[in-house]
Amino acid sequence: MPRPPSPSIPEKEFVYGALKQSLRLDGRAMLEMRTPTLSFGPELGWVECAMGKTRVLAQVDGKMVKPPPERPLEGIISIHSELSPMASNEYEPGRPTEEEVALTRMLDKVLRRSDAVDKESLCVLAGQRVWHIRLTIHVLSDAGNMVDCACLAGIVALKHFRRPEVEVEGDEITVHHPSERAPVPLSMHHTPFCFTFAFFPDAPPLVDPARLEETLSAGLLSVALNAQKELCVVQKAGGSPLPAEEVLAIMDIAVAKARELDRLVEARLQEDWKGRVVEVR
Amino acid sequence: MISFASFPSTSEAYGRYGNTRHHPDVEDDVHMDLDEDDFEENVQRLTVPGESITSSHAFMRGHGTYVDNDEVIASVAGTVERVNKLITVRAVRSRYNPEVGDLVVGRITEVQPRRWKVDANSRQDAVLMLSSVNLPGGVQRRKLESDELQMRTFFEEGDLLVAEVQAFFSDGAMSLHTRSLRYGKLRNGQLVTVPPILIRRLKSHFVSLPCGVDLILGLNGYIWVSKHVKQSEQEGEEGFDAEAVYSNKNDDIDEATRAAISRVSNIIKILAAHFVPLTDSVLLEAYEWAVEQESSVKDLLLDDVGENLVASLGSGLRQ
Amino acid sequence: MSSRIEILNDGGYRSDGRKQYELRDITIDLTQQGTADGSAQLTHGLTQVLVTVFGPREAKMRSQTLHDRAVLNVEMSVAPFSTGERRKRSRADRRILEMAAMIASTFEPVVQTNLYPRSQIDIYVHVLQQDGSLLPACINATTLALVTAGVPLLDFVCAVTGGVHSTSPLLDLTTLEENDVPHMTVAVMPRTRKVTLVTMETRLHVERFRELFELACEAGQTIHREMKYAVKDRTVALVNAMDAGSKGGAADDHDRDVVMDDRI
Repeated sequence: MPRPPSPSIPEKEFVYGALKQSLRLDGRAMLEMRTPTLSFGPELGWVECAMGKTRVLAQVDGKMVKPPPERPLEGIISIHSELSPMASNEYEPGRPTEEEVALTRMLDKVLRRSDAVDKESLCVLAGQRVWHIRLTIHVLSDAGNMVDCACLAGIVALKHFRRPEVEVEGDEITVHHPSERAPVPLSMHHTPFCFTFAFFPDAPPLVDPARLEETLSAGLLSVALNAQKELCVVQKAGGSPLPAEEVLAIMDIAVAKARELDRLVEARLQEDWKGRVVEVR
Repeated sequence: MISFASFPSTSEAYGRYGNTRHHPDVEDDVHMDLDEDDFEENVQRLTVPGESITSSHAFMRGHGTYVDNDEVIASVAGTVERVNKLITVRAVRSRYNPEVGDLVVGRITEVQPRRWKVDANSRQDAVLMLSSVNLPGGVQRRKLESDELQMRTFFEEGDLLVAEVQAFFSDGAMSLHTRSLRYGKLRNGQLVTVPPILIRRLKSHFVSLPCGVDLILGLNGYIWVSKHVKQSEQEGEEGFDAEAVYSNKNDDIDEATRAAISRVSNIIKILAAHFVPLTDSVLLEAYEWAVEQESSVKDLLLDDVGENLVASLGSGLRQ
Repeated sequence: MSSRIEILNDGGYRSDGRKQYELRDITIDLTQQGTADGSAQLTHGLTQVLVTVFGPREAKMRSQTLHDRAVLNVEMSVAPFSTGERRKRSRADRRILEMAAMIASTFEPVVQTNLYPRSQIDIYVHVLQQDGSLLPACINATTLALVTAGVPLLDFVCAVTGGVHSTSPLLDLTTLEENDVPHMTVAVMPRTRKVTLVTMETRLHVERFRELFELACEAGQTIHREMKYAVKDRTVALVNAMDAGSKGGAADDHDRDVVMDDRI
């Protein structure tokens, strides 16, 4: 495994020095996120999320499949993520790197295991037909905090997606073309957002680390939660030890951030929905 | 508030140091309280990582400790040692920590340009420079380019050698030398590995047992047990064969000597398993006991024989 | 979907007869395993892991060495017979890879790696049985194995799981409980009471999290005491063995005590 070239010593010193005075290289405040830009594609469930130079594309599609016998009443959600050299020259094709494992696992936890989507509502005919929702995540470019960006893109794509209306009569299933009947949104339990905090020796924690900050940090902590103050994932895998109070303080910060982000996402979705012409004949 | 469930564990994994939780009532009795006469004579203080030893104002930190918040804190489990103001903690078991002048036994792992890499049970492979070995044909001979090309004829991968720690590199790797006629390639014997802490610094680490067995007690825990070499054949006396220094062929070893070598090796293994430090006197006594018992060499490795051996040692020494 | 077994009954007992804050039994075996430099086998209820540590030693791959500190290499294997359902997990299983990465990054700031430049410390984790609280068992066993290998550590790392059943917090969950209630794993360093690892994968309200988190930190201290005793017992045994062998000859030095310093 080739190591990513580590930042040079003067760069490192400079970043540390600046952070000690609570200054970040890109001029943000310590607890200021890069405002995410969400752009929606022509199709429903096609979202590109950009945080600064970090860009992630998420796309959702659905098809009908036969459910596995052990879970006849639930739909299936699968998440595919890919980290190609396209995202950054540090990634190589082939064997999954540590970053890729971390990304896949985090997406899985935040979007699937947290029960964001009501899987039972994806059942069309028990034991016979369920919806299989596939979410594909492409990291277009990684300029730091790819995980948060990917989670945001994923959740917004799921919210943006509409599946065709279906009708069941006896054993007969009719799928209505979007031009006949308006497609329906997925039923969602909640909307988790992921926030990553980075820690440095002798400096306050910062949110949404840029690439350089991420590499130089002494530890990362990711929190995923929804606007209802429910934590879904907390992940601090090692890194520099923190006092318990600091961990709890970060939770409070994340709660406020989640509310803010929730508002932004809802506003953007509404805006996009208004701009879309949905023809129902 | 937080306690352990009171039913016993189903596991039978009780090892020698196996340990289960203590009942809360017994806890305080098991580990008796003691006055804080920290560095009293005759009392060895034991510590575990993360335990504060003393204030860093009055003392200096040595190996196995670190300073945090004006306190000297242990970073390994072992005994606390104090030399004047210097506090060190000696780990009860660890890899070999080399010091200049130590005698070590090592094994060649790699041949590199003008140097060999030697595994010596340390944190990194040691380095033996071509310039730090004696070459055949005169001690003070200059190294030639041809010597560089035929380094494998002196030592090749897998060869064992005895050497002395000469110096350290900046990253902590040690540099060895074999510039003495007592050092060099090993043959006619068997290697036994023990924890390095069991090898104490002795006057001489070349031990000759009267049973016709020579021992080289490497401070790194590698012990070479071999056939006795007659004094006359050592060190440039008559009959000393300079070419034989780098020979790869074993001499003829008769059966009695072979048995003696195995017996000594097995004794060392037993003593190491019981964590008894090895000195020439202990080894000699153990060997005598083993011969007295008239048991065969391999019987020594049975558990109860080993225990008897260690028990006899203690009583023998106490008398 | 969820099992019919009551997680916490009206009498305040859990499915295996424990109370809310009761931890399962811990057995620690620090016997030497083969040629490893350090090893520890830890049984936590029905969860059992064996960790062996090799090193610090010469790095196998020179390209991976760091010039200023040692590299920690964690490899984890899960025995196919460790769960109720016999299943062979490949080494490349994402879950296992993630856990190994978590163990490595937990210990990187705790091991004083800067003392061993260009070396490598190999940690092999073998899961023999699992019944919940797997990650904490691995972390605790790794701490003990590193201690027995004489690798310098800033402190112990003590981990424990906690869960919440409706509003009552539980400690040290079994597989059954892990499947049913939101749970988290917390690893603390007892001396400074700092937290090195927190993971949680299930939905939980922030306030509940706070409560459980503080409780788990406290439980870490209890586990630390057990681990410390195990290490001290071993140290005493080894030091006594050494004294019996070497000091025997020198008069009646024999009666001298090995005393442990016991300040909790």
